[in-house]
Amino acid sequence: MTGVPLIAARGIYKAFPGVQALDNVDFDLYPGEAHVLIGENGAGKSTLMKILAGAYHPDAGTIEVQGNEVKIQNPREAHSLGISIIYQEYNLVPFLNVAQNIYLGRAPRRQTPLLGALVDHKKMHADAETLLRSLNTDVDTHATVKFLGVAQQQMCEVAKAVSVNARVIIMDEPTAALTSREIEQLFNLIRLLKSKGIGIVYISHRLNEVHEIGDRVTVLRDGRYIDTKQVSEVTVDDMISMMVGRSIENLYPRNYREPGEMALRVTGLSSQALRLRHVNLNVRCGEIVGLAGLVGAGRTELAKAIFGAAPYDSGAVEIFGQPIEKNNSPAKMVRRGVGLIPEDRKSEGLALILSVAENVVMASLERLFPRSFVSGKKEASVVDGAIKDLAIATPSGKRQVQFLSGGNQQKVVLAKWLATNSRLFIFDEPTRGIDVGAKAEVHSLMDRLVAQGAAVLMISSELPEILGMSDRVYAMHEGRVVAEVPRAEATQERLLAYMMGQENGNTRNN
Amino acid sequence: METRATTEQTKSLPSLLQRVPAVAWVLLALIAFFAMLAPGFFTLGNFLNIAVQGSVLMVLALAATIVILTQGIDLSSGAILTFSGIIAVLSMQAGLPAPLAMLAGLLTGLACGALNGFLVSWALLPPFIATLGMQGVAGGLAVVLSRAGAIYADAPFFTFFGSGRLLIIPMPFVVAAVAYLCTWVVLYQTPFGSYIFALGGNEAGAALSGVRTKSWKFGVYVFAGLLAGVGGVVMAARLRAADPIVGVGWEFDAIAATILGGTSFEEGRGGIAGTIAGVALIAVLRNGLNVIGLATAWQAAVIGTIIIGAIVLDVLLKRKGILK
Repeated sequence: MTGVPLIAARGIYKAFPGVQALDNVDFDLYPGEAHVLIGENGAGKSTLMKILAGAYHPDAGTIEVQGNEVKIQNPREAHSLGISIIYQEYNLVPFLNVAQNIYLGRAPRRQTPLLGALVDHKKMHADAETLLRSLNTDVDTHATVKFLGVAQQQMCEVAKAVSVNARVIIMDEPTAALTSREIEQLFNLIRLLKSKGIGIVYISHRLNEVHEIGDRVTVLRDGRYIDTKQVSEVTVDDMISMMVGRSIENLYPRNYREPGEMALRVTGLSSQALRLRHVNLNVRCGEIVGLAGLVGAGRTELAKAIFGAAPYDSGAVEIFGQPIEKNNSPAKMVRRGVGLIPEDRKSEGLALILSVAENVVMASLERLFPRSFVSGKKEASVVDGAIKDLAIATPSGKRQVQFLSGGNQQKVVLAKWLATNSRLFIFDEPTRGIDVGAKAEVHSLMDRLVAQGAAVLMISSELPEILGMSDRVYAMHEGRVVAEVPRAEATQERLLAYMMGQENGNTRNN
Repeated sequence: METRATTEQTKSLPSLLQRVPAVAWVLLALIAFFAMLAPGFFTLGNFLNIAVQGSVLMVLALAATIVILTQGIDLSSGAILTFSGIIAVLSMQAGLPAPLAMLAGLLTGLACGALNGFLVSWALLPPFIATLGMQGVAGGLAVVLSRAGAIYADAPFFTFFGSGRLLIIPMPFVVAAVAYLCTWVVLYQTPFGSYIFALGGNEAGAALSGVRTKSWKFGVYVFAGLLAGVGGVVMAARLRAADPIVGVGWEFDAIAATILGGTSFEEGRGGIAGTIAGVALIAVLRNGLNVIGLATAWQAAVIGTIIIGAIVLDVLLKRKGILK
């Protein structure tokens, strides 16, 4: 790379109580390039980006913007330096419209004398319109953001970032919530921005995206700078070994065996509210069955209907051969040995401010303590066993769950369901947002579960995970199971075709 | 697609009607009910009465609405209303000209609001706690300064705001209308208004957009305090007196009117238009129950029941998709 870098950060240090988040990190970005930043959770990617965006201040180190050394005190200053960031968390205001969101904090004022304190709505919408068109999107500037789809909201975020005349746009896992088609749109947008000379910093967990969108890639590990490479010179395996500092033998450890008794049988399940149409599927003990589909295909809704967390109109569910009365409750399903590991672990899987111990026993309190009084000793033995068994990285069972990393939080959710002695597990996006090392551990745990005779239904948006872990795969499209594919015949292309509704496989009716 | 469009049409109300909140239907039902039961109810004179009675509540409910939009709560507005009235009347008794005395009342409200805002924004107290404390402080000081009894003032400029008329429109109503207009401009025409929705909808996101969230949140409580001060002065002008317990419980009516009007504690959803309907409902109820002669002791319970009923109805209709 030649010329003056848009950003050159040298020797950045940043410590938080108890952890050195960044330890002598270098990073630079040139006009028109997409520089991908990768690393496991806790590697310091977000911290580094927040420093560039003015949300944190470094303890030591220098930052140059276009050759001039600067101190970025707050987000406003970052904006005025032409640095914008699109955070992983949702940063729009739901009940404001698109234009108000794009220009939040920078709304144009009326030029009329005496009315200078008022917003010039006309100009704001015209500007927003121009901006959105220049990004090749057709989002309505008057639409209330709350009622837009995720992809359109993301377009707003990008437009907002561009609107400060940004020369640098930082994107923190922008594709986490997008479907493949929406990701393609976003990538086109990124290419457009690059062609305008804007530099993109792209943080991602999806290594397969690196080659598609990145020019250079920088790896961080445990707060330290590892290396920067041309994307064309590295393979996914290279990146993984740089990230974890060791090579991961196998991300998908599976031992396949003959399936046993029928654990779950769903026949003709339909629900208008959940948009499910005549769903048939089954899962046997000893099997991991993948459920593939695009966002909105109804996979999570199906899981909730089976688990009794959402009502359905017609159809039958059988658990271990026992018919389940319609519209059951989760409490009853738990007693029948079913566990749901939800997609959104922070809001549905865990009580974040409670301790590891309290979370682990939450679903099995009645089983562990039938006399209604909690015994600390018994609880401790269950909890310590789980921590050891699942290698949960926590100083003790008393630690609040919110202070654990994503991967360890997911292990706590798992421990919770293991403590219930469940035998049918429904995993909804089991490894979303957790790093490679923890991913492999979660996967090997799933394999251990089925080895012990449990049955697993796994929803995942990552096709490699579906292909790597499943005995069989069901593909869903618009509320219907459109195909059942055995492991031997499952390929990315074939599954994608089913998921997009381009092909209809013959669904065996059970 | 076609079949879907037709089923939707047959299933639900026309879209314009869908947007009318349940509280408006309950309001219409109540008016019809009172009109049938008490002949004196459905008269122009009585509606002017209701307008006057509802005016102070309107001012207070505007304050409650903007605070609730930020996911905050103001439990001190009733006490600030009382305290502001006491200060205005005391100032007049001390010989201050009426306009200045009234200004003193308004400034009292503003100062109390500023204290609330400071406690919430910088002392990081939850709004519930900060304003609950303020309720005690302002309410307590009102009792001390008034020596626990009503105090009187009847300067013509002052009482004009309580019982005077602009053409035929009662002054309290005029004040409420002006307050509504000001709040509308702030909420929908200034950046501050967008920040109010942003504070409730995504405070962290707003801060990362460069919005000075603490200062604006402080501003919200200052504005709410000022409105409570306005309410207090108008109330005292109407009664030609300030009473140390006159505002007790008003914060609940103001919050109820806000919630009835469709503003919710979730994500900065709502606005002040609905609050008018909420205030009208409460004002009509209080007036109507008096007109039909229900014992005062029973009124609170009846009003509470109807408020809860209206909110439950609203929630149920929205869940069924009959209302939007």
